[in-house]
Formats: sequence, C-alpha cells, structure tokens
Amino acid sequence: MYFLQLTLSGLAQGAIYALVALSMCVVYRATTVVNFGHGDLVMAGAFVVYLLVVLAGMPFLVSAILAVALLFVLGLLIEVGLIERIKSGPHIGFALMCIAFGYVLRGIARAVWGREVLPMPRVFDLSPVMFGDLVVTADALVIFFAVGVLLMLFFGLFYRTSAGRIMQAVCQSERGAALVGINVPTFHGVMWGVGAALGAVGGVLVAPLTLLHPALGASFLIKGFAAMTLGGFGSLAGAVVGGLLLGVAEQWVGFYVSTKLIDITAYVVIILVLALRPNGLFGRAVAERV
Amino acid sequence: MAALLELAGVSVRFAGLQALTDVNLAARGGEIKAVIGPNGAGKTTLFNAISGYVPIAAGAIALNGSAIHGLTPHEIAARGVRRTFQNGGLFAELTALENVLAGLHARIDASFAGILFGTRAARAAEREAVIRARGLLEVLGVSHLADRQVRAMSGGQQRTIEIVRAVAAEPPLLLLDEPAVGLAPPVCAQVIELIRRLAGEMGIAVLLIEHTIDLVMAAADVIAVFNGGTKIAEGPPAAIRTDPAVLEAYLGHG
Amino acid sequence: MNGQAAQGAWARWVGGTHVFYAVPLLALAIPLFANQYTQFVVNLMLVYVLVAVGFNLVLGNLGQLAFANTALFGIGAYTASMLMVHAGWPFWAVILPAGIVGAVAGFLASVTALRGIRNYYLAIVTLAFGELLRWIYIHGEAATGGTDGLAVPRADFFGIALDSETARFYVFLLIVTVIVKAVSNLLQSKIGRAIVAIRDNELATASLAIPTGRYIVLAFTLSGSIVGVAGSLFAVLIGHVAPESFGLIELILHFAMVLVGGLGSLFGSVLGAVALTALPEYFRRFPGLYEMFFGGLLIVFLLIQPRGLAALCAKWWPALRDRYFRDR
Repeated sequence: MYFLQLTLSGLAQGAIYALVALSMCVVYRATTVVNFGHGDLVMAGAFVVYLLVVLAGMPFLVSAILAVALLFVLGLLIEVGLIERIKSGPHIGFALMCIAFGYVLRGIARAVWGREVLPMPRVFDLSPVMFGDLVVTADALVIFFAVGVLLMLFFGLFYRTSAGRIMQAVCQSERGAALVGINVPTFHGVMWGVGAALGAVGGVLVAPLTLLHPALGASFLIKGFAAMTLGGFGSLAGAVVGGLLLGVAEQWVGFYVSTKLIDITAYVVIILVLALRPNGLFGRAVAERV
Repeated sequence: MAALLELAGVSVRFAGLQALTDVNLAARGGEIKAVIGPNGAGKTTLFNAISGYVPIAAGAIALNGSAIHGLTPHEIAARGVRRTFQNGGLFAELTALENVLAGLHARIDASFAGILFGTRAARAAEREAVIRARGLLEVLGVSHLADRQVRAMSGGQQRTIEIVRAVAAEPPLLLLDEPAVGLAPPVCAQVIELIRRLAGEMGIAVLLIEHTIDLVMAAADVIAVFNGGTKIAEGPPAAIRTDPAVLEAYLGHG
Repeated sequence: MNGQAAQGAWARWVGGTHVFYAVPLLALAIPLFANQYTQFVVNLMLVYVLVAVGFNLVLGNLGQLAFANTALFGIGAYTASMLMVHAGWPFWAVILPAGIVGAVAGFLASVTALRGIRNYYLAIVTLAFGELLRWIYIHGEAATGGTDGLAVPRADFFGIALDSETARFYVFLLIVTVIVKAVSNLLQSKIGRAIVAIRDNELATASLAIPTGRYIVLAFTLSGSIVGVAGSLFAVLIGHVAPESFGLIELILHFAMVLVGGLGSLFGSVLGAVALTALPEYFRRFPGLYEMFFGGLLIVFLLIQPRGLAALCAKWWPALRDRYFRDR
C-alpha cells in the first residue's frame, strides 16, 4: 500500500528532524538558551562532510566522524568565546548572538561554494531492501540505524550514568549544581559541543540525500522548532516524537494535498500548535497568564 | 461594615504541594492587617492568589462582593487592587518618575489618536500626570530621585519608589509584600507613617507581609498569623503577642 | 545622572521640538550637492530609517525577538505594487493601504500573544509567519509575479511625476518625518511607557492594570504599519519587487541596523539606518560576504558596544538621551 511507503519515507525524513530537534532541545535544557543559529551548525556539519568527501577524497565514515568532532569543538568554542562573554547583557543579546554567528557560518558556506547547489555523490551503494511490498532504501536504513543507536546511547547516558545525572542536575538547578562542585561554565561549553555534534550527525546523514545549499540552515532551524513545538518545548522525548510526526505529516500533505505545501507544513504546524495547544504533546506550561 | 476583600475557604496547590489550605480572610477599608508567619507559610502565595498570579484550587475570593478569582492579574488590578513584589517589581531601565507614571497609566486621559498626533489634550493629560507623580514623590521625600534610573538606586530607595507607584492610583486595596526589607530605621518609620496615612486618611485597605516584628506591632491594627499554609491566629497585636499557638509556631523563633 | 540641574536649561532648549525639526530642515539642502546616485542612496536610507524605526519598536522598546520584519517589509511593497500594477492606483494612494496591510500582518504575526504566548515561542511564531508570507509571494503567481516578481510602474505623487531621485527624496522625507514624529510622540506617552515596562517586568506591568497582551499586539501592529509603508517606498524606489528581497538573508541587515544604532532608541534607529544602508552595495559581488560582514558586525557590537552608537552619542550629549533617546 502506498500509504505505508509514504509513511516510511516520512519516518526516515522525520528521524533527521528528530535528531536536529533533540540537539536543539539539549542545548536549551542545559543552558536555557534557545540557539537560533543551530540550523546553521547542522548545515555546517553537512558542508564539512561534503568538503572532506568530495574535495579531500576521504571515505564517508571517516569524514562523518571528523565532521561531528569538528562541530563539537565549534559548538564549544562559540559557547565559551561568545555566549559566555555576554552573560551580563540583556537576554535578547543571547538570541542576537546566536543569530549572528549563524549568518556568519552561512556566509562562509556561501563564500566557499558560490551560488550553486551541490549534490553529493551517492554514498550508500547498497540496493534497497524489500519488506513485503515495502521498499526500504539504503539511505533510510542507514538513517534509522544511526538515529536509533544515537537515541539509545543518548537517553541511556542521560538517565543511567553519572554524566547524565550531572546533566539532569544542572538542568534543574544551576546554583545547586555549582554548590555541589559541578563546573557550570564548563558544563555549558560541553553541552553546546554535544548539541552541535548531535546536530552535525543530522547534517551528515542528510548530506548524501539532499542538494546542499547555505540556506539549508534556515530550513533545519524551522523544522527543528516545529518538531520541538509539536512535541512540547523542552521535552527531549517530545522533540524526537515531534520530529518523526513532522516528517510523516510532510509526506502525507505532499502526496494527498499538494507537493507545493511540503515546505510550509512546518510553518503551519508551529502556528497551529501555539495557537491551539501551546504545550504540544508533552510540554510543560507555555502560555503565561497575565 | 462589609469587608472590601473576602477570602472564603481558599486553597492553592502547585508543584504537588498544598501551599494554602482553607483560608478565610477579610480586608477592610481603613484597616491595616499584617500577615506574618515563618518562611514557606504561604504569605506571598496568598498575595499571588488575591492578585491573580496563581489559580486557586478551591474557595472564592471576592472584591466588593463580586468574585475575582479566575480573573487575570491586570483585570484584578483594574478593579482596584495594587501590590508590591517581594523581589522588587520596579522597571529597572526607567526613572523613578516614569515608574510612578506607569502606576498612573489608567488615570492618564489621552486617546491613541491624540497621542499619535500630539494633540494639546494628550500633552496636557501627560503634563498633569507628571505633576501628580512628582507631587507623590515629594510627599515621600524622594523627589530628588525622580529623574534617576531605578537601576542606580539602593534597595531601600527602590522599595520606597515601588510603594509610591502602587499607591499612585489610590487603589482601594493595597498588598505590600515586605515593604520594609533593607530599610534604615528612619526610612522605615517614614514608610510606616505613609501606610498609616493611606489607611487612615484615604481609607485604603492594606494587607501587609512583614518579618520585622516591631514594625508589625507598631503599624498593624490586626495581625493574621500563618503557618504551613493555614491561618493559625488572627487578632489585635496585643492578643497575638500572647496567643499560645502563635508563640509556639513563630514568635518564639522571631 | 550628574549635573542634572546644570543640564536643565540647556537640555530643555536642545531637547525642544526645534532640534527635532532641524534635522529634516537641514536635510532639504541635500539635493543641492548630491548627484543622482548619492541621492538614490539617501532615499534608500530614508526607507531604511522607517524599517529600523518599526523593527526597533518590537526588538528594542518591547524587547521581543521577532523574525517577521522582512516579511512585513515585503507585504507593504507587494501591496503597493499589486495595487499599482493590477488596479492602476497612483502611488500616493497606495501608501496608506501598504501601511494598513502591514498593520494587519503585524497583528496576525503576534496575535497568539493575546493567549499568553511570549518570548521564544512568540519569536518562533513570527519566524513561521514570515516564511509563510514569503511562500505566498513565491506561489502567488498571477498576483505577485511568482519568483520573478513585479515591475513597479512610474509613480506620481498627486500629479507630480516621481521620475527623479530628487522628486522622490522630497516625498520620502515628508513621509518619514511625519512617521518618525508620530513614533516619537508615542514613545514619550503612556503607551510607550507601557511597552517598555512590559520589556522590563511584564508581571509588574500587569499589576498596574495594563493589559500586557494587548500592548504586545499593539507594538507589533504599529511596527507592521511603519515597515509596511517603508515597503511601499522601497517598491517605488527600486522599481521592482521580488521575493528574494524579503527573505531571511536581508533580515540580518535589519537586526544589524537596530543593534548598531541602539536597541530601543529612536535616534539609534536613524543612526543605524544611515550608517549601514550604503554598505550592502559593496558586498554584492562576493557571495557570502554580506552575511559574514553583518553577522560579524552584530557580534562585535554585542561584545563591545551592545547599547549601540546612540549610547555613545548620549555620552557626549546627555540632553539627547532624555527626549529622543528612549532606550528605556
């Protein structure tokens, strides 16, 4: 049935969104800063992979690992070098700083690549797998596998290990965490690095599938927000569920209504959710009563 | 005389905690009622419930006979309730004068079009408000702070300005959340004097949260004692001083 | 502030209305020594003064992050163009509709604030709304010209043909002066105070019987109307409207103008617009330089001078601060 096929490709796409949304949520939960430049970090991950594979001729897996590592460092540096420095300013300053470096990244990408849109050569040269009538492409398989493993690792770490408990502690109370000896500024830096790295994985996974262009960042940002809003802002599990649902919704809308509407599904989701049910699926109170 | 404010059986819960249980309280015009109790007794929650910042789980709150529980904070304020905030609610970037002018917002009779086109009427309304605001600051002896940004003031000065802002619109009900914290004794005395005048001369009903026992004993007509989210005693200062339940719960540690 | 009393008399004279009108009066002399190209740049500056003034109302005075500004700019430009192209309206008649449509768009972008949506969530709604509008321009084919856009016909202002940059200058100057004066009146009134109060402490603002949700929507609506009018001027100046001028790439210029000029300062909006308008021309030839420069500029100012150029000016000219500054 085509419906299942459609849903499957929606889930594959949604898995990427889930990753992007999760990475944004991690940064938000850990540092209370919503990173409006996050989409561009994801895009940077995709471009670094492209550079390494196409221009340096390195194998995909190595490039992917390098890209993720590089983005981790970049995320950490941005937090420590820029975000920490304006701690004492108005809160809107954080957002503007994130927006600003997002544009800088975008500019660098555009400068290096000019006005073209870049295709990456096929990476996974495996033939599709059949489950009955369903065709599962190699790309989809890799995405499901990678994202699935990553999510299990992440949630496992978060809830089961001492590192995870530190994360939870700081998320709940920074002052309390500082009192028990946790180095909060370092924690912030590391969590930004983690967020950037997670996002980069999303970028890396999507790089072989779409045409790369510098404006990809804005697209990732909006999808990430749509996923987080749908799942409930601030909820890690919600970000994942929201991402998957968004991916599926886009495919359904594209097929059953019009392909032109795929682009705006995310916008409509954001507007509808915040207007009608601001808490999303699993979120805490969003609307203020004043 | 019917009370201006009546709380009947009010309960408040949040974050799984029972912050207030079955509270009955009244506030009358011209009367200063102090609300005292140890930290966590629910005093600020009481104020938040009255002024609409937290929803109540049970009971009713009525102002002049009509229910105000469930209304939004600005709607309740529009009915004549003003308050100060425990952590200071001033507008840091504005001057003291502008803060007080914000308190007069509802009283400034300038239409939107009038403001936009700079009509004489709109400008006159603003001028009047400025005169009134400066007068209020003068009364409290802080007119020299009028054009200073709140950010650049001491805690005590800020508390005073916040009170001026709250009373600027002559509200029938005034909730003061720890107005004397960090105030030097002479300023403290000034504040007590002001509160007494507000109640005595202007007939304002004042509810006052305070920790400084001396101030409470000196200023309040009635004292309500809270502990663990319930009211454990209420009466004139002399009676409270000797109330055994109160002594056990609070004054003994004061 | 020190020396307040001494500043008093001087401040009152300088801060008076005469200084405000001196700027546009002096500006009337510009066409005397500017060539057509310089005049064009000055005209563009006037357009961006309105853009910055409108954006600053929301970003600076209200303190609310918002991403719809280029979309609002665009909706004004498209409204003006479509009325001129499809309905044959003269230029002077499309300015008000552009402002009204901009106001409606600003209202819609912020209407969830009436339900209590604030801060990041509200910002995200404006992002979604802005992109939705741009999608409409692109897919509006017959009406909007799709990705190619619309060519704007010759404009005339009550019979006077706006063929030359000089003619456009006088008309733009008039419109911009009127609007900036109105905004100045607004910011110094109880409305301006309420908006800034919401930024500083929304809960306390509500305790003063000020309906904060409504004022947030008001700020956005006003912002939309101002930026919408700017769009109509832009359409006539450039002679062509297309979706690519009103997307997220141009937004960094809007952010930069407001921040570099001074968040919350009317004078700052003017400064920021004048300072940055001429720059994008230099970056057109090198892909990516535009984003890198303005992003970098924003970062530098955030680190070193977050209160903008207006704050610097106020240090040397304290009188300016009190009346036209309004950074508070």
